Amino acid sequence: MPVLSIESLRKDYGKIQALKGVSFSVPKGCVFGILGPNGSGKTTLLGLIMDILKPTSGSYKLFDEEPNESHRRQIGTFLETPNFYHYLSAVQNLEISAAIKQRGKEDIEKVLETVNLSQRKHSRFSTYSLGMKQRLAIASCLLGSPEVLVLDEPTNGLDPVGIAETRELIKKLAQQGKTIIMASHLLDEVEKVCTHVAILKKGELITTGRVDEILANEDIVELGASDTVRLQQFAEQLGGYSNLKRSENLLQLYYPVGTANLERINQHFFNQGIVLNHLHLKKKSLESKFFELTN
Amino acid sequence: MNLQTDFYVIQLLKIEWLKIKNYSAFIVLGLFFLLGILGSNYAVFYLKKNIIDKADPTGMIASSSPYDFAHTWQTTSYVSGYLLLLPGLLLILLVTNEFAFRTHRQNILDGWNRKNVIDVKIAMALIAAVISTILVFITAIIFGFAAGSSFSVTHIDAVGYFFLKALSYNMIALLFAVLVRKTGFAIGLYFIYMGFENIVSGILQALSMKFKAEYGFDIGNMGDYLPMNASDGLLHFPENTITNLANNSKAMPHDYMYVSLVLALVYLFVFYAWSRNRILKTDL
Repeated sequence: MPVLSIESLRKDYGKIQALKGVSFSVPKGCVFGILGPNGSGKTTLLGLIMDILKPTSGSYKLFDEEPNESHRRQIGTFLETPNFYHYLSAVQNLEISAAIKQRGKEDIEKVLETVNLSQRKHSRFSTYSLGMKQRLAIASCLLGSPEVLVLDEPTNGLDPVGIAETRELIKKLAQQGKTIIMASHLLDEVEKVCTHVAILKKGELITTGRVDEILANEDIVELGASDTVRLQQFAEQLGGYSNLKRSENLLQLYYPVGTANLERINQHFFNQGIVLNHLHLKKKSLESKFFELTN
Repeated sequence: MNLQTDFYVIQLLKIEWLKIKNYSAFIVLGLFFLLGILGSNYAVFYLKKNIIDKADPTGMIASSSPYDFAHTWQTTSYVSGYLLLLPGLLLILLVTNEFAFRTHRQNILDGWNRKNVIDVKIAMALIAAVISTILVFITAIIFGFAAGSSFSVTHIDAVGYFFLKALSYNMIALLFAVLVRKTGFAIGLYFIYMGFENIVSGILQALSMKFKAEYGFDIGNMGDYLPMNASDGLLHFPENTITNLANNSKAMPHDYMYVSLVLALVYLFVFYAWSRNRILKTDL
């Protein structure tokens, strides 16, 4: 069951198309990165699925159901900026969040401890630094230990230690089996933290899938033959590749950049009496993706 | 209202209480309002007792105190009506704070729906109007006894009209806050609109008098048909020699009070529906 599925979601602001009919789904238990440069529609997308914005057209489902507020109570969300009452302390602010989420207050101390804010928990929010505000927002998401977290640029404004700590926290949460949907404009961050990614550019979905496939800094050789069992058997004898994957009727061999020799591969299978019906070299790298994104 | 609805509104109000109980503007404006109601009524009470009565020992201008029972309901409601800008101001602050801090969004992200966001503010407007009315009710009784008269509920309908006026002030404040979103703009708009409507109301009153005098048709004081003046027009200072002189003048248009009452209710519904629709249907 997907945690989130989006179908042709579109949002116009007057003549500007912020999101141009985007569709994808987020499987349970993954760390799903929504990657794109500033202005690509990441926050708009998250705003739409959280009912902050009204879509021009399209639809989405949360937990495979028509979305409503009870779904949002099962998701810890941090969108765009830390939104708290400036005149209240961290504890007082979290009491409000906990009450709306229909959770008890018992989690408050624990989540403040998790983000290292216990020392300042009674200070007014307005006296916090940007990094502390950000950490309080993450603490608020953790209230009630939700199974799904939606984090919009969670490391924005943090110092290097804060960034490292937040990424560690996200990984730790993922290891606990939580689904994390995270928007970021940092390719490097998505590669380090996420298992899946959707790449947005100017409101359009460029691609979506597993990070190790999409952002692989490797050459991928795709092979196909009528007898897939024998194809795999002889592929294993090939050597030189770093990884072998099977996807539907195709085999994927991952080679370090520039080492895949299609002629040799073809010859190898031909010698074994296997005629390939598909042989294709896919070149994907961080840099090429980055180029695609920013140009 | 069924049990489930009761529960729903109380749940929302409990959360709203967490937001405002430590908000200094809430405490300061609340105190100003309380002292303002007591102070302004005391000022009128004192003025009549110690200045007018001494200057006019024969009672030509006004023989009895405006705070004698029967009159105290009208006087207290009328005098206190000028202070209703304060709860309106507080409502603007409470609503625009949510926009400024973006907590209206966070409340939704945390698990409210859009209906909860606006319903709780409408409930606050209603509660502020009820509390204002209770204050006026108690103040009217205190000054009624202080004036040395015996208790009477004649003219107590004035307190009901005060409630309607209080709710109108709060609901238009809520509407402006929801439409404008920025604290300074909303407060400015609120005060400017109140002043502007009074000027237009004055012009419409003059026009109504002109129509009556020149063409002989009397559709009442058109100034009392404007959104805020409709509920304002329901409250009058108790009759005395001076007000009688003014009201009984043949130049004055007839006071169609029921038209003002119906219009005040219609305007209230417009403020309610417009602010609710705004939150339910647009981007937040």
